[in-house]
Amino acid sequence: MSASRTPPPNQRQQRQGTSHQPDTRQTKSRRGARSQRNRVNSRLRAWARHHRAMALDSVRRLVRRPFGSLMTMLAIGVALILPCALWLTLDSARLLDVGLEESASLTVYLDTSMEESEAMQMASTLREQPQVAAARLVTAAEGMAEFEQALGLEDALMRLDSNPLPASVVIAPLDTSPQAVDDLSERLRSIQGVDEVRLDLAWLERLRRLAELGQRLTLALGVLFGFGVLLIVGNTIRLSVENRRQEIEVVTLIGATHAFVRRPFLYSGAWYGLGGGLLAWLLLGVGGQWLSAPVQALAQSYGAHFTVPGLDWEGSATLLISSTLLGWLGGWMAVDRHLKEIRPR
Amino acid sequence: MIRFEHVGKRYGGRFDALANIDFRIRRGEMVFLTGHSGAGKSSLLRLLMRLERPTRGRILVAGHDIDRLHISQIPFYRRQIGVVFQDHQLLFDRDVFANVALPLQIQGLEPHEAARRVRAALDKVGLLHREKALPIELSGGEQQRIGIARAVVNKPALLLADEPTGNLDPQLSADIMRLFEDFNRIGTTIMIASHDLALIARLHHRILKLSEGRLIGDDATVEETP
Repeated sequence: MSASRTPPPNQRQQRQGTSHQPDTRQTKSRRGARSQRNRVNSRLRAWARHHRAMALDSVRRLVRRPFGSLMTMLAIGVALILPCALWLTLDSARLLDVGLEESASLTVYLDTSMEESEAMQMASTLREQPQVAAARLVTAAEGMAEFEQALGLEDALMRLDSNPLPASVVIAPLDTSPQAVDDLSERLRSIQGVDEVRLDLAWLERLRRLAELGQRLTLALGVLFGFGVLLIVGNTIRLSVENRRQEIEVVTLIGATHAFVRRPFLYSGAWYGLGGGLLAWLLLGVGGQWLSAPVQALAQSYGAHFTVPGLDWEGSATLLISSTLLGWLGGWMAVDRHLKEIRPR
Repeated sequence: MIRFEHVGKRYGGRFDALANIDFRIRRGEMVFLTGHSGAGKSSLLRLLMRLERPTRGRILVAGHDIDRLHISQIPFYRRQIGVVFQDHQLLFDRDVFANVALPLQIQGLEPHEAARRVRAALDKVGLLHREKALPIELSGGEQQRIGIARAVVNKPALLLADEPTGNLDPQLSADIMRLFEDFNRIGTTIMIASHDLALIARLHHRILKLSEGRLIGDDATVEETP
């Protein structure tokens, strides 16, 4: 064992004698690695150079036909506006929704025959129920006053002989999730002296469903109009591919890779997409401004405060990035079809 | 350099464009390919450029079966071949310099190195002074010489030409052929398809004769014209 571990002296000598050899080998391989790195570097540089050249060249081509380019971008912009506007509306509705959920409450209507003292006792009973955070008694008289104030029906109600309204207790549940609130209302309803329990959550639930529907609608529209953008860009790029057919054939013949052929068209597509996105962004801003005065006036007449939502920078970035990507993809699809056609048979 | 082994090309299942083509071209040779139009000259060149694939047989270029090239390798194979077209196929939206530089741009050469080689190629075809001209401003003979400059700018080992003198008068045609001979002298293997029999007979190079898709003559002996 030990003999195999320590090399015999002559072998050791040999190693020492040839100790310079690994060194040269190392420098040689280092040099090899360096030249390989140089090669990789120069290819990377060439690649970056071509990207730069094609990015500029495609801009130059767009600028050379300003009207046509603008039309294409406008078509993309218009296609993007609808899903964006819907999304914005929904986003602001969702904010509203969150505010309402915090004030979710139950109204327990007591029997109309109940006296005020009984009602007060009832309120304290309800306050002690599990899952109840707070309970506030609204006596029949108080209810009447609120009703009158809210509806402006003072004259009509004055004519009534007796107060038809029951006393009620407004309850704030501890757990505001729909299921828990539902359970609580079920339990409260079974207590004697309780006439009816009204869930303020019901319409809230309806609103949430509506929001969900809106979300799906936005998604569907987004996909549909995104597809529209693909078609618009694809069609435009297809035309420029037709126009540059000879060039594509020549460069393919002299050894251009598919990536090389594709590159200028991908940049054109991306510029179209970005331009369209910018136009959509601009139009959304202008449209929002234009709508904000009447919307605010309308909201004020309901005693509410509501501002027309605009894209924040995160939303703007999403819009621009996705429109650019869609343009790029549209360009890819158009060129790829052509490249498949000229593939050797 | 080039080896055809019983190559056949059939279009549409019935028509044989090429049948049982068998020949070999050594490195550094200059060969003419003749025959009437429709004899299969262009088909043969298209096979060599890997624009089409043979239905039968094998084509070896520099020892490699080009039918077995993966689709992603084809561009790199084509970069080793210079091609001259009958209608020169220059791009009219850019100047002479950019046209000749195209193969080098595709290969990603550094711009200053590319410029040096483009000027060298233009100098060789005698059109260095026209580098800023647009192709449309040049005569037919000049356009063809630019086409040749583009084909040789990356120093290919193999140069293919399809009727390079098809549209030129005899004097210009002779000039173009002399240009090819110059490139052959520095070691480039050259294959020229041409039906200008009078011209190629005077040049004393090997002639492959095609007729109706078959190789009917391989005249390696030098013909002396009276």
